[in-house]
Amino acid sequence: MTNPLPPRTIGSNATGLDETGDQQSVAQIFDRGYRRYEGERSGVRGAIRSLVNHSLRHAMGIGRSARYKIIALLIVVMSYVPAVVFVGVAALIPIETEEFLPTYAQYYGFVAATIYLMAGFTSPELLCSDRRNGLLGVYLASPLTRVTYLIGKAIAVFIMLLFVTLGPPLLMLIAFSLQNMGPDGFVEWIQVFFRIIVSSLLIGGLYTAISMAIAASSDRVTVATAAILAIIPGSAVVTDRLVIDAGLAPEFNLANLMFLPRAMVFRVHGESGGWPVNGNPSYTMVLAWVFWFALSVAWVWYRYRRLLVRR
Amino acid sequence: MPDRKWHSCPMVGTEPRLPSTTAAQGPELISARRVSKAYGSVEVLADVTFDIQPGITGLLGSNGAGKTTMLGMILGLHPIDGGTLAVYGHNPWSAGTDIRGVMGYAPEHHTLPADLRANDFVRHVAELHGLPRSEATTRASDALWLVGLGEERFRPMGTMSTGQRQRVKLAQAIAHDPSMILLDEPTDGLDPVQRDSMLDLIRGIADDFKINVIVSSHLLHEVERICDGVVIIDRGRTLASGTIDAVRGNDEIAVIVEIDSSAVQAVAVVDSLMRAGWTASSSGRRITIGGDDDSVFDAARDHCVAVGVGINRLQRRRLSLEDVFLEKLG
Repeated sequence: MTNPLPPRTIGSNATGLDETGDQQSVAQIFDRGYRRYEGERSGVRGAIRSLVNHSLRHAMGIGRSARYKIIALLIVVMSYVPAVVFVGVAALIPIETEEFLPTYAQYYGFVAATIYLMAGFTSPELLCSDRRNGLLGVYLASPLTRVTYLIGKAIAVFIMLLFVTLGPPLLMLIAFSLQNMGPDGFVEWIQVFFRIIVSSLLIGGLYTAISMAIAASSDRVTVATAAILAIIPGSAVVTDRLVIDAGLAPEFNLANLMFLPRAMVFRVHGESGGWPVNGNPSYTMVLAWVFWFALSVAWVWYRYRRLLVRR
Repeated sequence: MPDRKWHSCPMVGTEPRLPSTTAAQGPELISARRVSKAYGSVEVLADVTFDIQPGITGLLGSNGAGKTTMLGMILGLHPIDGGTLAVYGHNPWSAGTDIRGVMGYAPEHHTLPADLRANDFVRHVAELHGLPRSEATTRASDALWLVGLGEERFRPMGTMSTGQRQRVKLAQAIAHDPSMILLDEPTDGLDPVQRDSMLDLIRGIADDFKINVIVSSHLLHEVERICDGVVIIDRGRTLASGTIDAVRGNDEIAVIVEIDSSAVQAVAVVDSLMRAGWTASSSGRRITIGGDDDSVFDAARDHCVAVGVGINRLQRRRLSLEDVFLEKLG
């Protein structure tokens, strides 16, 4: 449609001259109205990018009521508090405290709860809500498919988990390095940096997949959140009972979803720790990680492939 | 109404550009031939055949007739089990991503995200269809102004009335400048005044912006008011399709006679008329005679008198879609 209205002019008159005849700047508001769009479209990649952006804003409570902002903000702040405290203590009394500071692998023990909380709140909020409010039907009527939709959602959940798995250790690494308490030499610094990256990928990746699998199983956000917060720690209780009390093989510890990724992080950093899964060789832990990841992805796909979209 | 071509909506990146529908493929936007679809043992569509031309087309049928399933297949969301379906000459199942990129869709349900502002929602859907953020933001406002929600566009959708939410759904369907929009029950939940307003809005969008519209509804008289063409589906089968006039039979000049006797007597009147050289047929107590000049009325009167039946109604044929629907149902 062509411009239906002439430009509206603000000023003393349409010529741009004031009463004295001097030239004045004239502001014009063009009421373009609804019209054809002839520009480029970004296709599926643009759709995924938009989905990720929107999902991140949704998870962080941006554009939503205050309570959603508070939950996300609290979880993120809680994950950074130990790092800030350790860095602060090290800055004030560096010599005496160095031995008492946690290693990068040990740090996850301080923020484990925030990681579970982030997974527990984010995945249901991003997956269950779309199914309940019919937004999934709108998404699938766009260039997105079920696969690209799930990829976009997985990226958003993973990024949210990186806030609590990658951010705090990186903060510690940078802060300790600035205080001359970091790794010795550039090569070691790079090694630690990559170990932190791999650690956050291991934890974030597994909990992204597991939390999405659980969220795909229920349309109710609260039910899915409760299930995630129960199943991950609950797996530790169950495997402990099976291995310690019932005397079953230590391989059952590989079903311990709470400690498996953290024990792997210790191995990535070359530390041992006192994990129940330590009796298993590294390759079995990797296989177990891949198994739980693949099983979760398969379950999500199974649920969404069969899902009748409400339109 | 001229068809809008694909090349007005180029895709970039890895997206293939679909070619325009060529003259050799015909002017149809959508062409369905003996389409069938079942979910498990439940047969939703059994034998659906129609062509949809540019303009506004009503996809009509009672609740559960298979309209929403048909829309889903047009969007390429699920495959057909049998027959052929072409949208702009392409199989929507294999070319679904590209087809959906230039289509708008307004779902039937009203439960949109309650805490999301209308402007954010419309902008997000426009971005999903590939518009840059700045353009999506501008067009979201423009679309909401167009549907009459300019002042309300920053309100959370949960605080809006059903009528306003229907308008938001229309706005998100058109914000990215689609070549075709699919509206699923767009007047559902609206009072008569809102309904008229919504129908006028849809007509205006089709006329002013040359956007092809497919309206799914079970309210035949409403759709009859704004549609150029119609597809009537019942229990998974096509009852009728074509232009409104063709479906109503109003392009065939005829006189309708409704007698006060039985169907057998109606057949006798038809026989009498045909022996006298008239074109006539009967359905129950209703007799249809070709032509509409005064001589037809005289012939109808005379032959009814000759057979000995009374006349309840004698008029030029002017069927509504509802008449057609009921007639086809038998």
